Amino acid sequence: MDELLAEFVAETREMLEASEGEIIAWEADPADRARLDTIFRFVHTVKGNCGFFDFPRLAALSHAAEDALADCRAERRTPDRALVSAVLAIIDRIVQMVDAIEAGEDFPEGGDEELIAALEPGEELIDALDAATTAPSDASDPTSVEVDAKETDSTEANKNSPPSPKPDNTPQVQRSIRLPVDLLDRVMSGVSDMVLARNDLAHRLRQAGTQPTIDGPFERLTSILSDVRDAITRMRMQRIEMLFSALPRLVRDLSSELGKQVIVDIEGGDVELDREMIETIRDPLTHLIRNAVDHGIESPSDRLASGKREIGILSISARQSGNTISIVVSDDGRGLNEEKIADKALSTGLIDARQREKMSREKILQLIFEPGFSTAETVSNVSGRGVGLDVVRDNLERVGGSIKVSSTSDVGTLFTLQVPLTLSIIAGLTVEAAGQRFGIPQSYIEEIIHASSKALDYTEVGDTALVTFRGQRVPCLMLSNVLGLEARNTSIDLHTMVILRLASGDQFALAVDDISHHGDLVIKPLAPAIMKSGLYAGSTLLDDGQPILLLDVTNIAGRYDMVSDARTRVRQTELLDQKETEEVIKRVMLFTDWRDRRCAVRLELVQRIETAPASVLDRSTGSARAVIDGVILPVIGLPDGKLTTEKVRFLRMSDGVCELLFAVRQVNDAAELSGNLKPVPDDPLIEGVTLIDDATVLLMDGHELFAKYGEPPEAAAKPICQLPDNDWARTILAPLVKSAGYDVATEDECDVTIVFEEEYDAARELDQLPKGPVIRLRSQPDPSKDVAAGDDPTVYRYDRDGVLAALKRASRGGKSR
Amino acid sequence: MKDLLVMAQIAGRRCAFNAHDVQSVIELGAVTPVPGTPDHIAGITALRSQALTVIDSRSALGFESSQWEIDDRAIVIAVQGHSYALKVDAIEDITTGVTDPGKVPGGFGAEWSRVAKGMIETMSGPALLLDLVRLINPSDDLGVAA
Repeated sequence: MDELLAEFVAETREMLEASEGEIIAWEADPADRARLDTIFRFVHTVKGNCGFFDFPRLAALSHAAEDALADCRAERRTPDRALVSAVLAIIDRIVQMVDAIEAGEDFPEGGDEELIAALEPGEELIDALDAATTAPSDASDPTSVEVDAKETDSTEANKNSPPSPKPDNTPQVQRSIRLPVDLLDRVMSGVSDMVLARNDLAHRLRQAGTQPTIDGPFERLTSILSDVRDAITRMRMQRIEMLFSALPRLVRDLSSELGKQVIVDIEGGDVELDREMIETIRDPLTHLIRNAVDHGIESPSDRLASGKREIGILSISARQSGNTISIVVSDDGRGLNEEKIADKALSTGLIDARQREKMSREKILQLIFEPGFSTAETVSNVSGRGVGLDVVRDNLERVGGSIKVSSTSDVGTLFTLQVPLTLSIIAGLTVEAAGQRFGIPQSYIEEIIHASSKALDYTEVGDTALVTFRGQRVPCLMLSNVLGLEARNTSIDLHTMVILRLASGDQFALAVDDISHHGDLVIKPLAPAIMKSGLYAGSTLLDDGQPILLLDVTNIAGRYDMVSDARTRVRQTELLDQKETEEVIKRVMLFTDWRDRRCAVRLELVQRIETAPASVLDRSTGSARAVIDGVILPVIGLPDGKLTTEKVRFLRMSDGVCELLFAVRQVNDAAELSGNLKPVPDDPLIEGVTLIDDATVLLMDGHELFAKYGEPPEAAAKPICQLPDNDWARTILAPLVKSAGYDVATEDECDVTIVFEEEYDAARELDQLPKGPVIRLRSQPDPSKDVAAGDDPTVYRYDRDGVLAALKRASRGGKSR
Repeated sequence: MKDLLVMAQIAGRRCAFNAHDVQSVIELGAVTPVPGTPDHIAGITALRSQALTVIDSRSALGFESSQWEIDDRAIVIAVQGHSYALKVDAIEDITTGVTDPGKVPGGFGAEWSRVAKGMIETMSGPALLLDLVRLINPSDDLGVAA
């Protein structure tokens, strides 16, 4: 809410600044209609805005002024000097109140009535003006107060003395400025360019070999740049609250219009999203909400009849997962009617009767996103004004998002929207075709399979190539053909298949010559002449400075009819025989373990491959453990001696409940398990030996692995570190301590204590030394004269390595307690 | 008209670009071809980590570009917010215009008339002053859909 409030304050100020001149001009000539209009707009907007917040006094004042001015505008009243003064006094009061709101102070009671009364024709203003001038507007400027506070903070930190208690009433309002989005974009793209320039430089430096004098500053540049990039990215980010805040009102208006009762439940307003993206999803979201209120939620009497509460619930929630935001809009209404949708689709020719029979409920529901679909029998003026859900889907897909629906009859409907976090930096894969490299956004990629794999079962039906992916026939495109390039190798076996999944759920395979690399791609716009080809979505520069093109997957798919109805037909009519599905080829992941054996494990067991620094391993007890993503997992497969590498690769395996980490030397490939298994009696962990690519491979016994080692993941309890109670510790030391894997506390319960040397001495005098390990910080870089440099018990407070080392020592000591 | 002009040879003819429009002249490095686009788009290249669209001005004019030699430098221009690198036969000089661009009886020929602002007298002789927007968007007039 703070953000909205700041917005309100900023807007009011801005408007006032803009109309300041007008107000003065109006005073000079009360009959001036244009000025009158400006001032009317001002009070009108203030009135409207403060309706959102609970500011009854502001509302009353602006309302009164608006009424008086409205009378003037309607020529029921002639503006005179008395009226002008009264209105100006009210505007002054509004400004003072806004100041008070910003500073978080209470505005003194009273005085408003006089101001409002003064608006009445013939009233004199003496008292009211008095009241206005005595209002505490000139108390102090919040800006300067804040700056002062900050200065004291930093000086205190420097002097390292315990902070004096800060006055609680200091306004903590974050000042904000408004900037044109253009400017932000320019800064953003400038930073993106800097990242690219840095990458280029890094490449050249690598070529030139190690140069210590350059490498140091370059590292510094790199870290600064990544900080700046983070900050800039955040600058463009906006809380989705900005979008959500308008929704309750929308729902209220809609439901009263439709005679329904709906309460809105909003969650996740603090999720941040790129500004542009917020604008992009505004319309789709509004549309879904209109739909939900209009079609989803029943009228109160219907709801009572079906045993539900009179009031429908519409919940909207946003969540961030990795690089995407998912927004869920769900209602507890009547749900989607599968039969109705299917019938409608049949009557409009979207599907035919045979397809209808074979379609699952889920598939039928997704038909509502098809162009030309609308189930509402009568077009009401709320939803169904010619904009269908197909437009919603199109809009989302354009920015790389997707939408899905699921619904249970009489229980409700749930729409899930997925949108990427930002548009300009995406994770991508670089592929090669006909000797040229192209980028593909990671979000489309389902899987990468070598075409030689038997599981693919490449066939050509007419001119269409098909591959089998997860038991389904999927159309296959050759990238070189799509781009009109000369294919280098004609044998399909030498290709790599990238299975792409469109936002609509359609899949297709793209045959490429090779996969070269994946990473973050900074996307730059292309010239219109290139965009016209419809094949590319942008360009990006690789680390070596070579520009490559980013494929427009959605457009390419559309051009080759890979989308929707074409897919439905292929998938539905080519349903695989029962026999064929039984022979689903089992796939395994090949890896080399630390005893240099070629091993395999069933692919279903592998959740993902983790690469972690060797420091996450704890081998102090009999069984090794590691902390990954804040959970403790058992580790097996480690070599007996010390690890020689800095990083360890693990296969993170899960049976659904228990998890374990299998340390491997190298992850090789995925392969299919086709040969016979020969049991190996001497190692219980091995199910058998089999041949893959003419070499023996040991297949791990998943059952035995989990029976013996599997453990439900356990949240790692972080050791607690107590910090000195001052600002320096909170703002500068705490992040460092946290990054070393500690929780920070100021209470007494702790595993490690960090104190300043002076306080330590004082505590020792009082015999109140903290329990457990203590790290003593000194303020001067050089140890004091009377301690030899070698056995100095203190650490200079800016000696990052020293502090970290001390923390590490302490954590080792702490564990054994 | 005392504007500075960048002089270049395109398809064997002397052409002039208004120096205001020219951002720089670069050594053209590796150019990544862009399959599936009209012939005059030679590809994209990187300039200070910006992507430039490389236009072969000879093809853009409708000539066969292999007939002429090519300068390994290119003229960088910005049109409608996008940067382009123009491949030309040769980049000659910078000079000053002495007249405003004007028409010549009989015109300049179909290909040239489309992109020409007119003939301009310069310190180093007459040249054709080119309209950049038309030069890089030949399909607008020729109706060649990409």
